Amino acid sequence: MLEIKPIHPQFHLEVLPAAQLETIRSATLHILEHVGVHFPSERALRVFIEHKAQVDVESQIVRLSPELVTEALSHAPRSYVLSGRAGGTDLVLDGTNSYFGTDGCGTETVDLKTGERRPSCKEDVAQMARVADSLSSVAFYWPMVSARDYGRLAPLHELDASFNNTVKHVQTETVMGEKPARYAVRMGEVIAGDRETMRDRPPFSVLICTIAPLGQDPDGIEAGMVYAESGIPVGFMAMPNMGATAPATPAGALAIGNAEVVSAMVLMQLVAPGAPVFHSLLASVMDPRSADYVVGIPAKFLCNAAAVQMAHDWGVPTLAGAFGMGGTEPATWQLGRDSFYTALLVPLAGADIVTGGGMLEASTVLVPEQIIFDDEIYHMHRILAEGIDVSAETLALDVIAAVGPRGHFLTQEHTRRHVRSTWIPELTHPRRPLDGGPVPSIRSRARSRFESILAEHQPEPLPELARAELRVILDAAARELSS
Amino acid sequence: MSSGEEIWGKLAQAVIDGEPEDAAELARQALDQGLDPLACINEGLTAGINRVGELFASGEYYLPDLIIGGEAMKAALAILEPAMVGKQGRDVLARVVLGTVKGDLHEIGKTLVGTMLAAGGFQVTDIGVDRSAADFVAAVKETDATLVGASALLTTTMPEQQKIIEALREAGLRDRVKVMVGGAPVTQGWATKIGADGHAEDAIAAVSLAKQLVAAQP
Repeated sequence: MLEIKPIHPQFHLEVLPAAQLETIRSATLHILEHVGVHFPSERALRVFIEHKAQVDVESQIVRLSPELVTEALSHAPRSYVLSGRAGGTDLVLDGTNSYFGTDGCGTETVDLKTGERRPSCKEDVAQMARVADSLSSVAFYWPMVSARDYGRLAPLHELDASFNNTVKHVQTETVMGEKPARYAVRMGEVIAGDRETMRDRPPFSVLICTIAPLGQDPDGIEAGMVYAESGIPVGFMAMPNMGATAPATPAGALAIGNAEVVSAMVLMQLVAPGAPVFHSLLASVMDPRSADYVVGIPAKFLCNAAAVQMAHDWGVPTLAGAFGMGGTEPATWQLGRDSFYTALLVPLAGADIVTGGGMLEASTVLVPEQIIFDDEIYHMHRILAEGIDVSAETLALDVIAAVGPRGHFLTQEHTRRHVRSTWIPELTHPRRPLDGGPVPSIRSRARSRFESILAEHQPEPLPELARAELRVILDAAARELSS
Repeated sequence: MSSGEEIWGKLAQAVIDGEPEDAAELARQALDQGLDPLACINEGLTAGINRVGELFASGEYYLPDLIIGGEAMKAALAILEPAMVGKQGRDVLARVVLGTVKGDLHEIGKTLVGTMLAAGGFQVTDIGVDRSAADFVAAVKETDATLVGASALLTTTMPEQQKIIEALREAGLRDRVKVMVGGAPVTQGWATKIGADGHAEDAIAAVSLAKQLVAAQP
């Protein structure tokens, strides 16, 4: 039976004290009112004008009053459900659990058979969806790489490969533009069964990136409006790069990124009041010596955790960032260290959904077995966040008295009962081969597990009719969008 | 016959479930019913402990399950073996004397090895912890053992392992008794240096080693 195990923290982390959170909120409102955000979309500008925002049509800069922002966001739901297409696969975003997904959207894959790096393809998306389907650490699936064998239609084919190979909720981060978005919505209707069911139980959601500093992507924002009107949850992710596209300070990056995300969420609420939206902010740092994109550093980890608080401050769920760290090899000291911080801090801060495991080189390269390493780190954090159970049963006073000084606990029934509930990571604690042979390397153990999942796990297939309908939609999209 | 098979099955299950009290009670019932104690051991207890060994090897059972299974077997053996007096002994690969050396109170590793050896078909006499070379020799004489396992967890008690080998030689037993040494600080180099017959890193490897040593014996 398919099982999703979210992280359910019993203790919490607040990076920003209440006063600092309030200061960032005020700063964000100040930026929105006095500096404004670039909305290069006629439709978006029209909506803002209708709602009395201050719009400079020529420069396409929109300025929003605090009243307009607050009123618009008051319609955004704090809690809603992201649905999977099988029992037990719904994500209930009610603030009590953190659900993790996969990472994306890379452009290269280290081929499982040849070990060579090559352009990514649709089959990679399908294969990773099959493996993600079986992992209890993965609650929702981001198509992990680009279906580069489908050219301009790649995003819709990524969605198709995902729907066909996992029953879990899918979140696309690539289907942008008004027309492609309408095809994606039709695909969602096929999966959900009909339009109304899709509103109640959206089988997919969308993440749209803003453009730092203080800009929106025209295709992203126009797709966003289509999704919001259809009831598809839509989130906006700011990626301020400290020193390059944002001030070189975490507070400045948080304020500017927040303004980008909030302005887009306001537009969604103006277009479709009550539309489910989410907030996401992943800051990074420019290496001032080389202009490299730096991810594995405390400034980023702190911003990721602070962003969770900021999202909740606006009364919406958050998509936080984890994993996706630097380096080209799995199982390195650097990757272990950095993944620990990214993947532990955000669930402790209360992140609703989190992306995502399985990629290297700052989320650009797919190394298939990396998802097995990240799965183990995830479960390490899941157990850690559950804290310590202190009760009469776990204190075991009667057992302590029975054993007394200088005995041992191996033969106690209590030991037998509880020793099974202690989670021990498999990758770092392999069983030694009974023939006394050498233990395979950690990477080959991860690979073996990946390959056995791929060989054995068959996700529940889509009904034949649904598969056929998806093909028809893709054909229609090919005719309209390729020309 | 049918009641024999029934009680053998229950004995095996008591070992698999790790229920020492049930195992002892079943052993008493078996004797009351006039069943052959040797058959109860071979068809019941040995079958059960073999299954425990399999479950441990496959990863389903953990160490506490293994040891409690061993305890259940011991509890039943304590009742069945005395009833075998005058009859032929049970079928075992070899008889082993096992203990932790003098000055050393570490018990768990030695107990694990004992349980694994018992599950592997050996008859194990566990003489406990803090045992002198003379205690080992006496136990070998008493049980007619052909294998000795000596555990030492401290660098300061490791030399006691060498004393056991010397004491066996002085008693004229060294030719027919193989000696295995174990414990965290013990290495193959140490084993070779003191003239032991073998060393294993853990309880599972100890069983393979014991089988090799027994096979090599005349």
